Amino acid sequence: MLLDIDRLPSSMTVAIDSCGNRLSIAEVTALADKMRELLPPRSLLFLLTANNAGGIAWILASLLSGNVPLILNAHTEDSLLENLISTYQPQFICTPAGMAMNQHGSPLAGDFGYDLVATGAPAAMMHQELSHLLPTSGSTGSPKLVRHMYSNIEAAALNISTFFGIKSSDRPLMVLPLHYTMGLSMVFSHLKAGATILITDAKMTDPVFWRFMKEQEATSFTGVPFSFDVLDKMRFYRMKLPHLTLLTQGGGKMPEALNLRFAEYCRDNGKQWIATYGQSEGTARMAWLPPEYAISKMGSIGIAVPNGRLSLRDADGKEITESPATGEMCYEGRNVTMGYARCREDLAKGDERHGFLPTGDIAYRDADGFYFIKGRMGRFLKLYGNRVGLDECEQILRGCLSCECACTGNDTLLIIHLTDAAQAEMAKETLMNAIHVPATAIETRICDALPKNEAGKILYSKLEND
Amino acid sequence: MTNMENLNKYNEIFTEVFGVKPEALDANFSKENVESWDSVHQLNLVTLAEETFDVMLDPEDILAFTSYEAGKEILRRQDVEL
Repeated sequence: MLLDIDRLPSSMTVAIDSCGNRLSIAEVTALADKMRELLPPRSLLFLLTANNAGGIAWILASLLSGNVPLILNAHTEDSLLENLISTYQPQFICTPAGMAMNQHGSPLAGDFGYDLVATGAPAAMMHQELSHLLPTSGSTGSPKLVRHMYSNIEAAALNISTFFGIKSSDRPLMVLPLHYTMGLSMVFSHLKAGATILITDAKMTDPVFWRFMKEQEATSFTGVPFSFDVLDKMRFYRMKLPHLTLLTQGGGKMPEALNLRFAEYCRDNGKQWIATYGQSEGTARMAWLPPEYAISKMGSIGIAVPNGRLSLRDADGKEITESPATGEMCYEGRNVTMGYARCREDLAKGDERHGFLPTGDIAYRDADGFYFIKGRMGRFLKLYGNRVGLDECEQILRGCLSCECACTGNDTLLIIHLTDAAQAEMAKETLMNAIHVPATAIETRICDALPKNEAGKILYSKLEND
Repeated sequence: MTNMENLNKYNEIFTEVFGVKPEALDANFSKENVESWDSVHQLNLVTLAEETFDVMLDPEDILAFTSYEAGKEILRRQDVEL
């Protein structure tokens, strides 16, 4: 059974949310039984989740009952949702109550604050190993999905609960959304350890969030760089949170100064600081930086998670065995997903990766075997014959600008997007000197704010590149 | 600084963060009524207020900084004349 859920006491609390709802194992299995009665086996359903106990209930019950959910944000933009519905034709749509999806079919059932609607779409051919689908992170306009298999869930839960040393007494505070791979993996890994998840939709500037964290005695907090930026501004270091012993970070590189503040705070206050690296394609975490290296190897994503292996490949795809070295980082492990789906027919496809994932990230491996992400492959321009790394350009700019910036472009033009017109001239001059291209090859564009996803990652697809 | 100067500076914080005219700032200017008032805006307000008036707010004050008027009250408690 999924995550050996049947070995856990039926009275165990799986999750508590900040609205005061509690979810037990017995309730999850009862909802799974109900789904088995209502839905034909192996149904495709869209599950629009909010961060509450009901969201966890429906995800787990869908998986336990052998139905295949695409897990989406309840606030998914209408046009994107319509596009996904017409592309994949789900047989069922489950949403938070009151979202009125009745235009898509007839209401079937409701529970835990969610409504289930049957669309009347025919059954889809689905591979027997296919467990669930997630949207590809960052690309909000694309119907491209990540196909997960049941063994990915088991592997991710095992690896993650092992390196964090998760115990049944742990009470993780979850602010990351359920449709986000790192959020979902928190559910899997803590359920495996028999721990109760504290889940909330409340913003971190909402007193509800802090009351929930203190009253429920959260023992760990997992965030993306943006979350820690907020904690930093909230004077987190001065708060009394004796139960909180672990802070974990993923979802992109932290600014160095911010990373150092948290690493030092944790060192000086008897808490652990663990940076991680992951992707949807690898069922979340693939690397972690053990807390004893938080400061000496700051900025590193660390080493492979237990039962996984990281490697570097050169431009010809050959493994680089010596260190230090730089190349494309690849990961091997049972948490590597089956591949992508771009249309309904793709749901029948089998495992296309066989446990091996080229991450698309360029990494540096130091002499001690620690990995450092240097940038994305493909985020390069060829300006006047020179290979120009856009991530590198951004790093240079961030060193001299006090506003946000992002670089895009094509093979004739590099575009600096920034939020302060007063700094445009300086930005342009800085890059001209750094990468030695003529002034006409660089343009600046001013915007109010950079487009970002919920995790705070810049959405390059929404920035002009010509 | 006089009360008037302080008030002008306080207003500037809001006009900068929300991109509104000073006339828009009144007792109704709050998290409930201003659509763009999210956590990022709130933290930016607090950061600017701290820099402008050279004060350090407690987490409770940061959480309570949810309206134009509430912000004034919070700063007054820090001995800023507003």
